[in-house]
Amino acid sequence: MIIFKIAFRSIFRQKRRSILTALSMFGGFFLSAFFIGFSDGSYNQIINMFTRNNLGHIQIHESTYLDKPSLYKTIRDYEDIYKKLQSIKEVDAFTPRIYSAGIVSVGEKSTGVKITGVDPKRENIATNFNKKIYEGDVFSDENSYEVIIGKGLAKILKASPGDDLVVISQGADGSIANDSFKIVGLSKSGNELEDRITMYIPIKVAQELLTLQGRIHEIAITIKKLNTVPEITELINEKIGSDKIIAEPWQAFAKSFYNAMQADVEGMWVMLVIIMFVVAVGVLNTVLMSVLERRREYGVLKAMGTKPGDIIKLILVEINILAVICIALGSIAALGINYYLSIHGITLAEPFSYGGMYFRHMTSEINLRSFVIPAVIVILSATVVGFFPALKAAKTDPAKAMRTH
Amino acid sequence: MEQKTIISTENLVKTYKDNGMEAKAVRGISLEITSGEFTAVVGPSGSGKTTFLNLISGLDTPTSGTVQINNRLISEMKGRELSDFRRDNIGFVFQSYNLIPVLTVEENIEYIMLLQNVPKRERHDRVIKILDKVGLNGMESRRPTQLSGGQQQRVAIARAMVSNPTLILADEPTANLDSKMGSELLEMMKVLNETTGMTFIFSTHDQMIMERARRLITLKDGIVKTDEIR
Ligand SMILES: Nc1ncnc2c1ncn2[C@@H]1O[C@H](COP(=O)(O)OP(=O)(O)OP(=O)(O)O)[C@@H](O)[C@H]1O
Ligand SMILES: [Mg+2]
Repeated sequence: MIIFKIAFRSIFRQKRRSILTALSMFGGFFLSAFFIGFSDGSYNQIINMFTRNNLGHIQIHESTYLDKPSLYKTIRDYEDIYKKLQSIKEVDAFTPRIYSAGIVSVGEKSTGVKITGVDPKRENIATNFNKKIYEGDVFSDENSYEVIIGKGLAKILKASPGDDLVVISQGADGSIANDSFKIVGLSKSGNELEDRITMYIPIKVAQELLTLQGRIHEIAITIKKLNTVPEITELINEKIGSDKIIAEPWQAFAKSFYNAMQADVEGMWVMLVIIMFVVAVGVLNTVLMSVLERRREYGVLKAMGTKPGDIIKLILVEINILAVICIALGSIAALGINYYLSIHGITLAEPFSYGGMYFRHMTSEINLRSFVIPAVIVILSATVVGFFPALKAAKTDPAKAMRTH
Repeated sequence: MEQKTIISTENLVKTYKDNGMEAKAVRGISLEITSGEFTAVVGPSGSGKTTFLNLISGLDTPTSGTVQINNRLISEMKGRELSDFRRDNIGFVFQSYNLIPVLTVEENIEYIMLLQNVPKRERHDRVIKILDKVGLNGMESRRPTQLSGGQQQRVAIARAMVSNPTLILADEPTANLDSKMGSELLEMMKVLNETTGMTFIFSTHDQMIMERARRLITLKDGIVKTDEIR
C-alpha cells in the first residue's frame, strides 16, 4: 500500500527527527523493561526468602487456625494428606510443623519463646533448614531431646551449643510440659526479630512434650513455580476435599508482608506512568514539528483526493513503524542487561531490610511481561499522542497549505 | 473537436475574514470556459488569481455565487463528494513542492490512479506513455530530489494529466523556473493541449508566457478587467 511506502520512507528521509523520536521511544522501552525485570526479580527474590526458605508457598491448617491460632486446632490425618500432596507433580516438597509458646531458661537467664516442632529431614528438603544453622549441628536424630535456637535468642540466654536448656509449656491435655534439652545448633533465618524468639525441636519430641501425639498444626508446601500458587492451592483443596482442613496461599498467611509488597508494586506502576509520559512528550514534540514541516505534502495529497482518514493513517503508521523498530532494538538491549543482571545482579552498598529480612544482592528476572508491558506502553503512548498531530495534518486545507511559501 | 462549456461561474465572490479584517479577493466573476482551451489568468499580485483558480477547482468554497464543472454544481459539494470529484476531474500543478519527496517519479504519477483503483499493469503503461509525452522517458525510478526544477514541474504536469481529468489547473507553474525552463515548460503544455485536447488554465506573472495563451483573462482587484481570445 502506498500509504505504508510513504510512511516507511519518510522515517528514513527525516533521519534526525526520526532518531529523536526513536530515542524517547527506545529509552522509554528500555527503562521500563529494565525496571520491570529488575523489580520482578527483586520481589521474587524477597518473596522466595519469605516463602521457599521459610513459610512455604502454601500452607495447610485447620480452617480457623490462621485467624486465631490455638494449640487445639490440629490436623490429625496428615499421613493421608501427605499421600495426596505426593500425587501433585507441581509440589516440590512439604513439611509438617507444630507451634506453641513457652518459657525457656539456660542457667540464670530465661525468656519467652515460640516453640516450633519440625521434621528435620522434610524441613531441610522443603525450606533448606540446614542452611540456617550457622553454628553447631543439625539434629542428630528425630527422637532426640535436642534444640536449635535463633541467634538473637542465644544472645539473650547467653547460651551456646552444648548448653542445657529447660522448657516450660502447657500440654494439650492441660498438664504442665517440662523438659530439658541440649542445645546443638544456632540458626539465622535472615529475620532478626524472629531469631530472638525462635527455637526448633524435632516434631516427634514436640508431640510428646505437648501431648499432641498424631497431631500437627501446619503443613508448609513449596512448589515449583511461584506464579502457579493460586492454581495449586485450589488443586490441593480439591484433593483434600474438606472444609475443616484447608490450604491457603502465601498471600493469605503472610498478609502484612503481601500488603507491603503490593504497595511497592504500585510504586512501580507510578514509575511506568512517568516513563509513559516522558515518551509521550518526546513523541508529541517531534511529530508535531514534522507535521508542521510537511504541511505542503499533506496539502498536495489532499488536493489530489486523499481522504483525511488516510492521512491520519499515514502519520500513525509512521509512528508505529518507528515504535516497532524501537521495541525490537530495545528488546535486544533490555534482554542483554536483564540477562546480565539475572546472573550477576547488583550488590547494594547498604543492605536494605524488608519485613525484618536484610537484602543486599538483588538480581533481575527475564519474563514476558517485562517486554510486553513496555511494548504496550510505547505503542499506546505514541499512538495516543500521535493522534493529535495526525488530526491536524488530516485537516490541512490544501488551498491554504499551498499558498504559504 | 466539439467545443462544449466545461466550466461556468456566476457572480463568484470570495471574501476572506482575518481577525475582523475583510479581504475581498474575488468580487463577482462570471465566465465560461470551453473544452480544449489554453487559458492564462493574469493580473498584478493580489488581484485574485490564486483565489479564482482555487474556487473553480473546488479547493476553496465561494462566499457567494456558483461554479459548475461539466454541469455539476461543485460550489455546493462538500467533504468526500468534493474530494472524489477533484480526484477524478481536476489535475493540479502548483508553483512548487508538487511532488511527494519520498516517492519515485513513477509512484508520484500513479498516486491518483491508485486512489482510483486502476490495475497495476495499466498504471505502469500509462506512466510510461505520459513520461514520454513530457520528455522524461527513462526517469521513472528517480526521486524528485534527483530532478531539476523544470523536470519536477513536468512530472507534476504528467501526474495531473495521467488520469485524463476534465481540466488541468496550474497556479504559476513557471514562477520558480528560470525564463528558459519556464518557456520550455509552457511550450510543452501547449503541445500537450494541442495533441490531446486537454483543457489548461494557468496563472502567470510572466509577460513572455502569457503571450503564448490563446485566451487571456486579466484580473484586477478581484474582477475581470479584460478577457480576450486571440
Ligand atoms: N487566507 C486568506 N486570508 C485573508 N486574505 C487572503 C487570504 N488569501 C488571500 N487573501 C487576500 O486575497 C487577495 C487575493 O489573493 P490571491 O492570492 O488570490 O492573489 P494572486 O493574484 O494570486 O496574487 P499573487 O500574484 O501574489 O499570487 C489578496 O489581497 C490576499 O491578501
Ligand atoms: Mg497567487
